[in-house]
Amino acid sequence: MTDGEPYLRATGVDRTFGDVTALADVSVAIPGGSVVALIGPNGSGKTTLLRVLAGLLAPTDGDVTYEGPSATRPLGYLPQEPAFRPGYTTAETAAFYARLVDDDPTELLDRVGLGNVPDRRVEALSGGMTRLLGIAQALAGEPPVLALDEPASGLDPVMSQRVFDILESLAADGHAVVVTSHDLPLVERSADRIVILDRGSVVAADAPAALRDRTGGPLHETFTRLVEVDDAVSVRTGATR
Amino acid sequence: MTTPLTAFWAVFAREIRGAVRSRTYLLLALALTLVVFGLAGAGNGPSAGYVPTVVDVLLVVEVIVPAVAFAVGYRAITDDAVRGTLDVLATYPLPPWAYVLGVYAGRAVALLSVVLVPLLILGVAVAVTAGPATTVFATHRGVDSPLLFVRFLALTAGFALTTLAMAIAISALADSRRRAILLALVGLLVVAVGADVTVFQAVAGGLVDADLGTFLGVSPASAYRGLVFETVLYVAFSERTGFVSVPVAVVGLLAWSLASLLVATLSVRSRRA
Repeated sequence: MTDGEPYLRATGVDRTFGDVTALADVSVAIPGGSVVALIGPNGSGKTTLLRVLAGLLAPTDGDVTYEGPSATRPLGYLPQEPAFRPGYTTAETAAFYARLVDDDPTELLDRVGLGNVPDRRVEALSGGMTRLLGIAQALAGEPPVLALDEPASGLDPVMSQRVFDILESLAADGHAVVVTSHDLPLVERSADRIVILDRGSVVAADAPAALRDRTGGPLHETFTRLVEVDDAVSVRTGATR
Repeated sequence: MTTPLTAFWAVFAREIRGAVRSRTYLLLALALTLVVFGLAGAGNGPSAGYVPTVVDVLLVVEVIVPAVAFAVGYRAITDDAVRGTLDVLATYPLPPWAYVLGVYAGRAVALLSVVLVPLLILGVAVAVTAGPATTVFATHRGVDSPLLFVRFLALTAGFALTTLAMAIAISALADSRRRAILLALVGLLVVAVGADVTVFQAVAGGLVDADLGTFLGVSPASAYRGLVFETVLYVAFSERTGFVSVPVAVVGLLAWSLASLLVATLSVRSRRA
């Protein structure tokens, strides 16, 4: 396996919740050594697709296959709002997850820049630091694929940039990184490939530069042209399919 | 190399660390100490011996132990589910059974500490206050003995572990903290009175063709109470008490425990894709 080949592949994935279709015939590949960003309006199916890719949600139809290198933990996952058991320090929290995969908790904290606050209780961490601890958790066991759900949501610009810098460095190390985000400038700067979802379907998937070329302007213009942003909740039901 | 066993120990250690830091468990132990000493003191059991002391506290212990077990376990897995930790753990080489057993074992250590330490202190109080007849080991009916109190402790530990397993199952089934509270209250009612009432109605109504002593072993509380009567308080009776079938009661408690842990494991597994 070399970088650039898919580590994770979804083929013809459908996912429904009752009569609501969250995903319809979605096919994406997540190559090693790259950052793939899933963007789209609220309710477009980004988180659902990420959870299907992470193996946390079974597709109603279609397949998700892991094609990366053999690993103790093939995939690391960061939920949209990471939360940790209160009363424990960052070092203890990292140690718990590291112990599950025989990893070094100190190194995990160092990799995300939390090595200087090992004794701080998790409930005393800022939102950004909590996300960094979540990323440290996702890195435990050196999983080839990292699935991160809005890792920069609600963070200030400096912390958001720091999170995406970490993602870029992880991809540079060979990880396949798939991330959902609403932060288009950061996505445009950091992602190697962008998948635009609307109403549960892929409406475009390409490199940022190629997507920009469609309108000649920034990614935001391409995005607004491709998706129906006026829809407050852009899911489709059986009646609208 | 990570194995399911090392993953189990990681979960177990996390639970123990949490229990050690929790003041709630300490308060529960203090409250239980006050209750059992109050009851035993009111009945004058400690000065009379081990068996009279067990008689004094049995009825309340039978209700308090499940209550403490549900307090210790009803949110054990729900909290992990609500925080999203179960989703995260699903990406680790941690089988659902290792996770459930790790949580159960860790909470069991906490629960047994809360329940047994006050009763042990009560046993020590009996040893220093009761007459010399209580210091011999019983070899025949009518003789009080510390061994009988140890049996009572062992049976109480078994009952506590069974009700904790039921609480863990409830915590795995609940998908919110509010629902966990509601389910725990229902579970506690079932253990405290519901199962006994059901057994009595089934036998009285002729729905079950078995004698009451055998069928009572199906109810956790009756099984515990019956085992205490059959193996501890029997010295106070001239004939066999016949309250419950000992094998059925033992199997009943084990079956409740194993079935509950199985339900918890299947529930955790069903949350995964």
